[in-house]
Amino acid sequence: MVKSYAAGGAEFRLTIPRLDIGRGTKLAFVGESGSGKSTLLELLAMILRPSASGTFVFRPRATGESHDIAAAWQSADPDSMAALRSRHIGYVLQYGGLLPYLTVRENIVLSRQLLHLPAVDAAEHWAERLKITAQLGKRPAELSVGQRQRVAIARALAHDPTVLIADEPTAAVDPLNAERIMEVMIGLVEEAGVTLIVASHAHNLMRNAGLRMINHRIDAEGDTLLHIEVSDVAD
Amino acid sequence: MSPTDSQLRLILNLAWRDFGHERIMSACFVLSLSAVLLPLLVLFGLKFGIVSTLTSPLKEDPRYRQIQPAGSGRFGPDWFEAMAQRSDVAFIVPRTRAIAGTMRLRAPEGNTGRIISVELIPSGPGDPVIDGLSEPDGFERVVLSLDAADKLGATAGSRIEGIVSRTWSGKQQTELLPLQVTGVASAGAFARDGMFVSGELLMAVEDFLDGRAVPAFGWEGTVDRGTPRHFSGFRLYARELEDVAGLRTGLMEQGIDVRTRLADIELVQGLDRNLSIVFWIIAIVAASGYGLSFGSSVWANIDRKRREFSVLRLTGFRSRGIVWFPIVQATMTAVLGWVLAAVAFFAVQAGLNSLFAENIGGDQAVCRLLPVHLLIALVLTLLAATAAAALGGMRLARLEPSLALREA
Repeated sequence: MVKSYAAGGAEFRLTIPRLDIGRGTKLAFVGESGSGKSTLLELLAMILRPSASGTFVFRPRATGESHDIAAAWQSADPDSMAALRSRHIGYVLQYGGLLPYLTVRENIVLSRQLLHLPAVDAAEHWAERLKITAQLGKRPAELSVGQRQRVAIARALAHDPTVLIADEPTAAVDPLNAERIMEVMIGLVEEAGVTLIVASHAHNLMRNAGLRMINHRIDAEGDTLLHIEVSDVAD
Repeated sequence: MSPTDSQLRLILNLAWRDFGHERIMSACFVLSLSAVLLPLLVLFGLKFGIVSTLTSPLKEDPRYRQIQPAGSGRFGPDWFEAMAQRSDVAFIVPRTRAIAGTMRLRAPEGNTGRIISVELIPSGPGDPVIDGLSEPDGFERVVLSLDAADKLGATAGSRIEGIVSRTWSGKQQTELLPLQVTGVASAGAFARDGMFVSGELLMAVEDFLDGRAVPAFGWEGTVDRGTPRHFSGFRLYARELEDVAGLRTGLMEQGIDVRTRLADIELVQGLDRNLSIVFWIIAIVAASGYGLSFGSSVWANIDRKRREFSVLRLTGFRSRGIVWFPIVQATMTAVLGWVLAAVAFFAVQAGLNSLFAENIGGDQAVCRLLPVHLLIALVLTLLAATAAAALGGMRLARLEPSLALREA
């Protein structure tokens, strides 16, 4: 799969020769900022259209459906991918990405509402696990950065997804907080049997958290072309 | 409920929450909309009020709708029938020759004891000049003009006598007609001594004066030749002011020279037309200016919030649904802005009307809008605002979500 795009007069190209991520894997893409980690996560989250794609298949459960994402992009079927996203994927952004006009409670249950899942007690349950119960009635603007990231994790897990994708989830918080947040997140992911895919530049943090690490390699071709290869992961 | 519907409901709710969350910004949008809408409402209210004030005497006074023959002609029953059928004709009755058009009256019961000569005015059901009075009917029931009633000392219900004389077979013949006054017309209906009578009575008088026999009264005379009776004139009223010009043209084409108050009508209509042109030029300039400014602020707002929209996409909202977000907010801005402008309009209207109250008549208003005008303003505002927001929404649908996600 290839994604290329131009930004600020420079052309970038991300090449993924082969990547298999098994269910229940806890995986970290580690690399410099600008190495295409976010791009890779967005491709996996089916929100970024690949420039060219070979096989791209999403099998959320051991038995059952298999979704051909390459074909969905080909046939311009964003609704089917939106439905898959809402059901199977939880996404944590570097800066929370909470909706400022909703309370913490409403932010957490938004993904459940979208799926018509009962929202009663869900916010309390996840808030308790992430130690943000006191913040449930507040707006995101009243929270610290660390608290916001915890809310973002609660929201990403609240609708019982099969995959949790986190893009630099702890880059904006202090190292001590970062470790605690990673610890809580990994605990919840293991408990629920969710596949975890993290992108981070913090090599040690990922290693200490016990994630399987994949390093991005950057090959310079001329001045402007970035070429990143992701090594195979078979599980 | 289909999943799409519930997703839409969720979007509507989120749009509403965002609108309330950014209440200062929302209030600015609402205020700027009212600031454009209010002067337009006042301007249109002034135009409508002034034109109504000028038009209403024309509308209320049936004389502006009267079409009078300039000379005398020959009009047969077929012609009257055809005219009465026309939808633009409110009232038409035949008028006899002028020589047969007068009668002397006296009131035996009255205290003046005077004998006066009155003009006979042919009337009948639906006569707009004596609208609301019991209409003249048969050989007895008549309506007097105010002057005539005063001179005779007669009121509605009085019994009076009509006196007609002719020279027939070399002898002076005078006949008395018992009449019942069923009503007295208003001062504006007929400014001289006059009596509104039925067509039957008028024809009987004409026959009598012409030396013909009138069997109904037992008056002798020559027997009718059997040819249809022709009349020398008519009383004709158009249904609406707007119908006068068309009727006049139609009659002129038939070779009938008529007199109308068309010049007065056209003066007001011309003023209405010119004021409308001025109003619409201002309205279009103001509305397109506002549309552009509103559209660009929607655009800028979407730019500002593109990260939030991308988060919604990431959560699994369809881009089709998210497009409704700015449209819902534009609708709320439009409705609130309209409410504010309407409330302010009523205040301005009250001020203007009391300011000019002395210059115009009692129940007239210099600034006035009908409920339907305010409704039209709401519909146009909604259309303009949602159209501007829909353009922004199209931009939203094309937004690359991933690029927006990485911003802090």
